[in-house]
Amino acid sequence: MTRKPHDCLEIEAELIAAATGDAEPSAARRVEHHIGACGACRGEFHRYREIDGVVGTLRGVAGGADAEVRARQGLESRLAGLRSRLLSYHVFPSPLGHILIARSEHGVSLVEYLHGRSDVSASRLGRMAGVELQEDSAELETLHRELLEYLRGDRKRLEWPLDLRLARSDFHRAVLRATAAVPYGALTSYAGIAAEIGKPAATRAVAQALRWNPLPIVVPCHRIIGTTGTLTGYSGDKIGLKQRLLAVEGIKAKGKRSDSHVERGMLYHYERNDQHEYCLPTCGDIVRHPIGPVTLLASRELAGSLGLVPCTSCRPDLHPLAA
Amino acid sequence: MMGAQPFETIVGAHHGEIYRYLRRVTSRPTEAEDLSQETFLRAYRSYRALDADANVRAWLFAIATNLSRNHFRSEKRRRIALQTASVENREADPEGPEDEALFGEARALVESTVRGLPLKQRLAFIMRKIHDLDYEAIGQGLDCSPESARAHVFQALRKIRVNLNGHALPPAGDADRRPSRSIDMEQPR
Repeated sequence: MTRKPHDCLEIEAELIAAATGDAEPSAARRVEHHIGACGACRGEFHRYREIDGVVGTLRGVAGGADAEVRARQGLESRLAGLRSRLLSYHVFPSPLGHILIARSEHGVSLVEYLHGRSDVSASRLGRMAGVELQEDSAELETLHRELLEYLRGDRKRLEWPLDLRLARSDFHRAVLRATAAVPYGALTSYAGIAAEIGKPAATRAVAQALRWNPLPIVVPCHRIIGTTGTLTGYSGDKIGLKQRLLAVEGIKAKGKRSDSHVERGMLYHYERNDQHEYCLPTCGDIVRHPIGPVTLLASRELAGSLGLVPCTSCRPDLHPLAA
Repeated sequence: MMGAQPFETIVGAHHGEIYRYLRRVTSRPTEAEDLSQETFLRAYRSYRALDADANVRAWLFAIATNLSRNHFRSEKRRRIALQTASVENREADPEGPEDEALFGEARALVESTVRGLPLKQRLAFIMRKIHDLDYEAIGQGLDCSPESARAHVFQALRKIRVNLNGHALPPAGDADRRPSRSIDMEQPR
């Protein structure tokens, strides 16, 4: 290159920008002024304009349209794969210890007590094959907040879309769906759920399915107890958690560990009848009928909301149980 | 926070352009296919966290540019790509209409110069001159300031100018008819 005067070197970048339609107005004016007086730069300016013209024709040139369509189809299929395996999760503290919530694009797929640990390595997520994990507190913030409200007793429903794919079988999914339908403040038994899904002999299998419940609290397996009122089990041996969750709903339990049982004398009873009447525990010998056929209810309001009416002989409307 | 639009909409609106960008950056259809798919898979993982008023197009270009830079980090890989590029490109680009034929030779020279540019200059040049991205967006993908992005494009044009030295070019009539881009580039994002 020939040596250029200082002014020409100084304005070169702006000159290129101006010639290729890429300069700010003030720079374009400076260039215009300069090339008015400098023939060499005027030549350069026109040369760059010509180059810009050639560059402009590159825009229309792309790879084959077929390849583009192929790439798009490949993307759709890889995207579908990613969507089905991607779970976003967040771990947060709660009155029941650290809890992990994970969700897919279909819905919430895991609620997990981390039992004294506070990081994802304690989660069963780490042992799952074919799952891609992504920490995402922003996406799970609403769920987190609603769960804390629930645990404080400020919220009675968790109306979350659920993704039951982490359940182990269709039978487990049927158990979870039936359990999810047990209302806030009500109790039934494993046998009751077995009957509900049309497998009355499968009581133990129901208990196993709830032992593996991937969505505790939101699928309220804590509302499922033994036919006599014993709490039986929860999240391994965490009967205390079950008691606390029931207490939030106004249901008291007595005794420790395997002796732990709900106080039927403090709860309203409903056993299926054509009049849809619910009773006091002192009505006839209903208190000795197995839970399952009998549903226990924490309050008269709950009974009313389920479309039940007070029994005309024991009159729970006139003799409310002590709160 | 959910993204403002469903992801299908984002794919529908931008896949073609991102693919063509990567097609030009890589010069090989299979690499472009892989990288464009990776771009959108990566975007899918994080689009929910995107602000509702985010510039989705610039964001996708930044992801694609980052992936390209990782891809070419191995210089050897790039050399192999370059060796095959000239052949494949010729096959992929049919002769244009008659008035474009005038540009044929000059265009081939420009293209080969662009392929030989250092990666950042090449990426900046393609984003600016082919896809009209503003320098702010170009800087995002290249991890540099808008001023550096502008300097990359400037250097690229200078090299093209040098390589075309002494080569007869058609007059800049087409360039005159194209709208000036001197205003939109300065708009804030």
